[in-house]
Amino acid sequence: MPKKPVNSNMVPLDGLGIIPERDAGKPPILDIRHLCVDFGGLRAVDDFTLLIGRTEIAGLIGPNGAGKTTVFNLLTNVYKPTQGRILLNGQDTRGKSMHELNRLGIARTFQNIRLFAGMTVEDNVKVGMSHGYSDGVFTDMFRLPGWWRTERRQHVRALELLDLFDLTDKADSLAGNLPYGDQRRLEIVRALASEPKLLLLDEPAAGMNPSETHELMDNIRMLRDRFDIAIMLIEHDMNLVMGICEGIAVLNYGKIIAKGTPKEIQQNPVVIEAYLGEEAAV
Amino acid sequence: MDKTARGYRQIPVYLKYLINAVLLAAFLVLGNALLSSGAVNRAQSAVILQIGIYILLAVSLNVATGYLGQLPLGHAGFMAVGAYTAALIWKSLPGKNIGIIVLGLLAGGLLAAVTGMIIGIPALRLKGDYLAIVTLGFGEIIRVLIINLPGITGGTPGLMSIPKHSTFMVVYITVILSCMLIHTMMKSRHGRAILAIRENEIAAESSGVNTTFYKVLAFSVSAFFAGVAGGLYAGYTGILTPGNFNFMTSINILVMVVLGGLGSMAGSIIAAGILTALPLALQSFNKYRMVIYALLLIAVMIFKPSGLLGRYDFSLSRILEKAINGRLFTKPRKAGEDRA
Repeated sequence: MPKKPVNSNMVPLDGLGIIPERDAGKPPILDIRHLCVDFGGLRAVDDFTLLIGRTEIAGLIGPNGAGKTTVFNLLTNVYKPTQGRILLNGQDTRGKSMHELNRLGIARTFQNIRLFAGMTVEDNVKVGMSHGYSDGVFTDMFRLPGWWRTERRQHVRALELLDLFDLTDKADSLAGNLPYGDQRRLEIVRALASEPKLLLLDEPAAGMNPSETHELMDNIRMLRDRFDIAIMLIEHDMNLVMGICEGIAVLNYGKIIAKGTPKEIQQNPVVIEAYLGEEAAV
Repeated sequence: MDKTARGYRQIPVYLKYLINAVLLAAFLVLGNALLSSGAVNRAQSAVILQIGIYILLAVSLNVATGYLGQLPLGHAGFMAVGAYTAALIWKSLPGKNIGIIVLGLLAGGLLAAVTGMIIGIPALRLKGDYLAIVTLGFGEIIRVLIINLPGITGGTPGLMSIPKHSTFMVVYITVILSCMLIHTMMKSRHGRAILAIRENEIAAESSGVNTTFYKVLAFSVSAFFAGVAGGLYAGYTGILTPGNFNFMTSINILVMVVLGGLGSMAGSIIAAGILTALPLALQSFNKYRMVIYALLLIAVMIFKPSGLLGRYDFSLSRILEKAINGRLFTKPRKAGEDRA
């Protein structure tokens, strides 16, 4: 398959944001307009507007407490936005439940790992394959042909996905017994199992050493190329963000203070100020 | 013998099924022979039937508590629905043939499942203690309804002269079949979704599991088999009074599940066996019976808080496979240990 450029040319769309040139002909996978959410008197996310292209790797960065994970939680309807709207693949996500959103094509990982710790690695992935099977519970109880078909299909698919992250030989271990890095990788595999169009990664490199992070960068690119999906990630590791993200949004106190390519973000005085304080900006 | 990539010999699936089927049939024949030859006296055979019924109650409650991870306290209510339904059907359809017996048990189970669904849809919006209280309330409502519908249920004095359909054969086959159906459900994509909710509800929901649907499903399945057990109970005692289905019955079943290990079917079965037989076996120490019972529970909770078996589940084929690979006494490797 043709390798897509890592950091491609970005083109403006509707004056609201930028998406990679290769995605320009198609509507963006994610179209967020003027998103706000209030927790009591606190405005956690304020006027958040962002477009993400079909095969873009987008980054969301910002200091601690800036509201990055809150944005993810808004995208997956864990929280309801106070204002604004989200179009996922052209469909308004308002009022949809989390599993319906998953069906529409959004899958995520969590900042604090949320695996099914007491289940095997393979079963974790199989739980992710929740769509496209119509057999009822009686088929399963009586082990009718449908059950055998589903089990075989899910088994093969699970091992294929696990193989992407070299987890195949751990398929039978309990997820809770995996080393930390493998748990993070398994979460990504589980998210992929639902065949998303947009993958949200919440600090995928947290707790990884530099070589693991480097491997993860390759893997994220590989996922995008192989599955043709958009990936949006929150990350504090700037090497990773600047290395693989094409469009970056910087959040501070719930507001977007800058959007642009990695190069633009690195040179943006407002961003430097937010991260390092006023002195350093001079 | 099939072999996996790592050279671990596996028993082919059909052979696993065959071994289990042969063993189950052998137990059936053996049990039947013991009972009919008179080697087991009446009191002992009554205990055996009771154990069977409580096994099914514990295993069915385990679906909601151990697998789904919720804490319903109204299990006796579902048992009552099944018991009265089966009893009324059997009373109105005289004769003893397999069709009538199955009809009574199935109808009891189905009505209990419907009740479970009706209760589950509102109650499962709650979690933990709140769910416990609400289901406790619903369980009591069922009991009070039975008392207040004397035209149908016989009211407080109860329902008498129910045909005693629960022979060893009927109880054994019903319990085994029910356990098998629950087991096969748990080893399917529906079962995995239910387990995923127990493990992490938010992650399950965001992985596309319709948590409301699966909670109600697990709850209804749990109620269905409680209803079937209720039917067996009706056919065993011959008399039903609302007092049989009070809060203490629900607690007793819950104690069995917790003692055996939440989420372990084998644990529920063993604990149901022990806790049903123990009070009867201790009859000669009548004074200290409840003390010993309580001490046993306390001891288990102190020394093995996860229950007798934890989440371990017995699998004959797994043990056989270990044996033919010469790994019967070696511990399973932990993840990460074998990373070269």
